[in-house]
Amino acid sequence: MSDTVEITVTVNGTVHREQVSVREHAADFLRHTLGLTGTHVGCEQGVCGMCTVLLDGQAVKACLLLAPQLDGHEVETVESLAPGEELDPLQQAFKDAHALQCGFCTPGFLMTATALGREGRALSRDEIRDELAGVLCRCTGYEHIVTAVERYLAETPARERADV
Amino acid sequence: MSETTIERDRTAQRPNGIGADAPRKEDDRLLRGDGRFTDDVDPARALHMAVGRCPFPHARILAVDVSAASELEGVRQILVGADVARRSEPISVLRPVPGAPPLPFYALAQDVAVFEGQPIVSVVATSRAIAEDAVELIEIDYDPLPHVSDTIGALEPDAPVLHPGVLSSNLLATNPQGAGEPEERMAQADVVVEDRFHINRVTGLPMETRAIVAQWRPGARELTVHHSTQVPHLVRKQLAESLRMVEGEIRVIAGDVGGGFGLKLGVYPEDVLACLHAIDLRQPVKWVEDRLEHFRATTHARESVHDFRIGATADGRILAMTNTYTTDLGGLNSPFGSAQLSTIVFTGPYKVEDGYVERRVAITNKTPIGAYRGYGQPEVNFARERLIDRLARRVGKDPLELRRQNMLRPEDLPFRNPGGGLYDSGDYLATLELVVDAVDYDGLRRAGRGPRPDGRLVGVGLTSFVERTGYASAKFLANRGSQFGAHESVTLRANRSGGIDLYTGTPTFGQSSETAFAQVCASVIGIDFHAIRVHAGDTGATPLNTGAFASRTMIAAAGALKQASERLRDKALRIAAWRLERDGVEGLAIDGDVVRDPDDPGRSIALAEVFTAAIIGQGIPIGEEPGLEATAHFEPEEAAYAFGSAAAVVAVDPETGDFAIERFVMSHDCGVAVNPLLVEGQVQGALAQGFGAALSEDLTYDPDTGQLVNGTMLDYFVPTAADIPEVELHHTAVPSPVTTFGVRGVGEIGTIPPGAAIANAVCDALAGEGVELTALPVTPERVWRALQQARNRSETS
Repeated sequence: MSDTVEITVTVNGTVHREQVSVREHAADFLRHTLGLTGTHVGCEQGVCGMCTVLLDGQAVKACLLLAPQLDGHEVETVESLAPGEELDPLQQAFKDAHALQCGFCTPGFLMTATALGREGRALSRDEIRDELAGVLCRCTGYEHIVTAVERYLAETPARERADV
Repeated sequence: MSETTIERDRTAQRPNGIGADAPRKEDDRLLRGDGRFTDDVDPARALHMAVGRCPFPHARILAVDVSAASELEGVRQILVGADVARRSEPISVLRPVPGAPPLPFYALAQDVAVFEGQPIVSVVATSRAIAEDAVELIEIDYDPLPHVSDTIGALEPDAPVLHPGVLSSNLLATNPQGAGEPEERMAQADVVVEDRFHINRVTGLPMETRAIVAQWRPGARELTVHHSTQVPHLVRKQLAESLRMVEGEIRVIAGDVGGGFGLKLGVYPEDVLACLHAIDLRQPVKWVEDRLEHFRATTHARESVHDFRIGATADGRILAMTNTYTTDLGGLNSPFGSAQLSTIVFTGPYKVEDGYVERRVAITNKTPIGAYRGYGQPEVNFARERLIDRLARRVGKDPLELRRQNMLRPEDLPFRNPGGGLYDSGDYLATLELVVDAVDYDGLRRAGRGPRPDGRLVGVGLTSFVERTGYASAKFLANRGSQFGAHESVTLRANRSGGIDLYTGTPTFGQSSETAFAQVCASVIGIDFHAIRVHAGDTGATPLNTGAFASRTMIAAAGALKQASERLRDKALRIAAWRLERDGVEGLAIDGDVVRDPDDPGRSIALAEVFTAAIIGQGIPIGEEPGLEATAHFEPEEAAYAFGSAAAVVAVDPETGDFAIERFVMSHDCGVAVNPLLVEGQVQGALAQGFGAALSEDLTYDPDTGQLVNGTMLDYFVPTAADIPEVELHHTAVPSPVTTFGVRGVGEIGTIPPGAAIANAVCDALAGEGVELTALPVTPERVWRALQQARNRSETS
């Protein structure tokens, strides 16, 4: 039995055909095969949320997926948020609110909040806290992250977010 | 003092200068996923290391058989204990325990391993997966030895001695400190309250684990090490010592670091191993700690037992305090070892002249303890502040009144406390009154403690504290054998684009030093904040420094930044004056990207022109040296003490012990804030770690097997966004007279109050039941047990 398999996966709009090890998880594949090092690895057991990416639009923990499971799917990583010079409104909200310190967890929060924004639901501060509870942060104490996401959800109309 | 004030007023007007909420320089790359953490460095032909670790808390290594592993395809090298003993020196300690013999240890255990997780073998292979497979194939024959997990139990006469070649017991050292006549005062006291307080073992748990990439060029004799560290220059020193190299052959690069909190201070065994492999194999070697390794092989913190005592008059005036405390070192002495600051702040913000404090260091078969945000200050604060509340109940006073009665007043400062700390300045009571007003303490007291309609009992708990930030001086450190100085350094170098390159050995791990440093330079020089580029953490490019810990960076760096900025500015102005054909620099000033002529506001000269003239040495005054850069080293005259108070309001279910923190108010004084928004972020972040340690984090060892039972991210409960109570922050800003610009450190103060304030609030709510909590974390189970105990006591009495 071969220990590699060929997959075709669309990552940030680019189609990649790659030979991957069957025991490699998706976060390692994104980082070390595709060079998208913005997706981080913190625990490899689906708790810390550092590796959160969007899989077909849904926030998932890439360390709990094997690379072969990406075959035929579409992945968005933090590198997709700001393709040009300007930061994306969510990133800008994080910057304005001082919602990041060491920045290691930031991609996980950004991708979680991106998915949340696309849902277009109005959320209270407490609901935002619950939604963000799948990503851990040891630097900020979360207050400023909750504030950034709150402002982002309030300031960006749902329709516009869906268009992005 | 007055000079500092003037300086502040003058510089406060600069956009993004001192006092402004400047946008962070670190943010854009991190927000775009373009940070450069150590695992993001992927050199071509890199090999990967995995480490085999001792599964027992204490075991003799009888035999290691690597034959099957070395035959696995892809395996390149295996190192065992004898290899590293032959090829390297033991890892050195940066901050020795005063009076303690060294406990040297090699990167791999030799005959005996003393904690679960201690490295025994290391394997390098073409992939991490293969290296881990190889570790599984290595046969290690262990003879498990009797172990000791309990901090106090380690000092019992029948405990197995863990370092018999060096010590005759597990007591590494005893460090006494005191002033006045505490025992006489205790004897005179009308009331003495005392108890034993247990502080939990926790860990800082940075989201990025430790990591290293080592590359060796034999011809050039150049070892390049990408490292996740707070102290690249100290790592270089330690690596040179362990690898028997000279410092000039080693370059340590700390790129972006994903959190440190004190855990990434110095060299760990895996760093030496990766370098040895890279040197042997002449290929890059990468090791990224996985989270299971992290829980066992990266330093833990805080675990200690405090026997605290307060003597007072019948009306509550404190006469003396004593504290004999035992810190748990774990199995080995990590570069910083167990906390030392419980001594220096043990009396807190109170007027206590007679006191005695004794630190004992106990060795156990657990993961080594190291520095962690607060480093002894949250621990001792819990013990003292719990007893202050108990003293208040004993003398029939409200805890607030007792604190007011005993607190140092501004006119008492500077004040040398019995722990040896010199409090520089501050209005401690003002911070207490701030939280008392904000929380409506009087209103809560009027409402009483009786059950609410939901059956819950409401309590309010207070705590006041000081925090030592920075180090007193190099002399202070020398007396303790510390291998680093109290100063910081910076190099500023003008470039031809009209900008300034700022070089600092202080790496970026969340503390925002890139931004704050640039703010100070922008203020002093007058140049646009955005024209300053910070280059941090590369020993090949930055001046030798100490590093980022002990809330000391800005305490010391502010002076270096100011001096270097003034020197660079003054030379730039001399060149500009000459080019503007003026007689002197009088009135000339840098304003953004130009130097303006004060007599003719329309006339100016671009900074790029001035800087270029200096750099190429063309068109500069006769006698002026070419080049435009300045390096400064600065040591503050004393440590600065930050201070604050906090109040927690809790609602406790007296049947189950469950409780909710309904409000948490904190006030703090960090002196002059270089960037108020960043200061708030630091305090919020440290508070969250304080809440974790106060409420849920607790590394637990099975007493029978000696093994860590909750060493995974699933089992060790760090707070999530949903677990942190909303915090209300207030601040005062008394400039410190001992630092440049009047700054005080800010990074750690938030870790101090949660344990004490929450426990005091729970005990206040349950005062009618006579509940007194003496251990952290405060969990519903612990509260319930304390309730049962109190009820059993009252039934039997």
